[in-house]
Amino acid sequence: MEWLTPEEWQAVALSLRVAFWATVFCLPAGVFVAFVLARGSFPGRQALNVLVHLPLIMPPVVTGYLLLIAFGPQGGLGAVLKEVFGVTFAFRWTGAALASGVMAFPFMVRAARLSIEAVDPKLEQAAATLGASRPWVFVTVTLPMILPGILVGCVLAFAKGMGEFGATITFVSNIPGETQTIPLAIDLALETPGGEGRALRLALISIGIAAGALALSEWVSRRMAARIGGA
Amino acid sequence: MSGVAFLRSVMRATALALILIGFTPKTAVADDITVFAASSLTDVLQEIAPRFEAQTGHDVRLSLAGSSKLARQIQNGAPADVFISANSDWMDRLEKDGLLDAGTRRNLLGNALVLVAHDPETPAVTIDRSLDLPALLGEGRLAMALVDAVPAGVYGKAALRYFGLWDDVAPQVAQAANVRAALAFVASGATPFGIVYKTDAQAEDDVSIVARFPAGSHPPILYPVAAVAAAKTPAVTDFLAYLGSVESQEVFGKAGFTRPAD
Repeated sequence: MEWLTPEEWQAVALSLRVAFWATVFCLPAGVFVAFVLARGSFPGRQALNVLVHLPLIMPPVVTGYLLLIAFGPQGGLGAVLKEVFGVTFAFRWTGAALASGVMAFPFMVRAARLSIEAVDPKLEQAAATLGASRPWVFVTVTLPMILPGILVGCVLAFAKGMGEFGATITFVSNIPGETQTIPLAIDLALETPGGEGRALRLALISIGIAAGALALSEWVSRRMAARIGGA
Repeated sequence: MSGVAFLRSVMRATALALILIGFTPKTAVADDITVFAASSLTDVLQEIAPRFEAQTGHDVRLSLAGSSKLARQIQNGAPADVFISANSDWMDRLEKDGLLDAGTRRNLLGNALVLVAHDPETPAVTIDRSLDLPALLGEGRLAMALVDAVPAGVYGKAALRYFGLWDDVAPQVAQAANVRAALAFVASGATPFGIVYKTDAQAEDDVSIVARFPAGSHPPILYPVAAVAAAKTPAVTDFLAYLGSVESQEVFGKAGFTRPAD
């Protein structure tokens, strides 16, 4: 007997893909913004802070609707991106990844920012007085110290990507094989009479993936701690 | 603290929390009724409920969502007093589970299914076997409610199947959580076309009807209403009667709903 239908496996694979790309795109942008917020002082810093947190504060359907307005077929940004890069977000898996990435962004920024603020600038200054250039200071001193925070950010972003529902269904709707991630497939199963079993199976898979991702991150963080400690 | 005492204090705290967040026991608010209704009834019920309140002094709380979501909540003990579904299947299921006061069930309304477009200049089309929907859509999508779960989507899929159009257009269908969300996709221009109820199309200025699905192409669209078994206050009886009144029927008729016998 088949444990999951092909369509459900599709949802699982799609969720992994969406969460992966959401995390990949969040990572550099999130660390950059975290740096700017932690170290920078410039007019509009507070405004940037609020903007970054908006997806956390707004109802997900609002975020999804704003994405639809901006990146939809009628949206200005959507048209520009299609024209320049040939990328379409509306009703595509790329849109699901975008929605997840936007929703995950504040988690990444918060985690990275905490660890950046915990870095003692004197250590960086010490490295600089010993002749290290600024990029070299970042790579050899700052980065190793903030890596655990970035890892936490990645785990949170991936988790958000796996679980995002409201913004996704509002922005890219539920299209089997294209935008139907695990949460959307579970929602559909629950909306269908007699779909409880399917919903439960998908939920168990979701939990399994989450447990696996957590175990992986624990392992990475242990290795990281060992390396930093041993260096 | 002994186990029993601890359990008791946990239960007390839980009860307090429930009261604080609004789950007051039903007996305390006998004149409040909660109506769970299909999202396609949003506008009409928001018009009818205040009139009913003004006439009777009862309070009506409306919970509007896809029929399937509401039915699932009632199955799990949601404090609904009246349920108005956009199809019979979910109503049958609740009735079979003994969750309805079966004697109060009746078909309240009928509706029709239409193809709507965002662009008001879109010429009218006829829905039959020769209609080339993918060509009509081009690169765009066809917005529908969840085609295997939400009534409006189920009816729409059945109608497209009836004309042999489903298989070709299926990859281009964007499924929304409920019929109003599908309507919003068309209204915002995110999708050029969509399939919604005639009444939804009438309620939204930013879409225009380009075709009407023949009634025979899908199962009859009926809105059954019934009292939920757990609650039978006089206010519920009053509300059910009020839905059948001339005044309510006028609101329904103006919005484009039909009488179920039609």
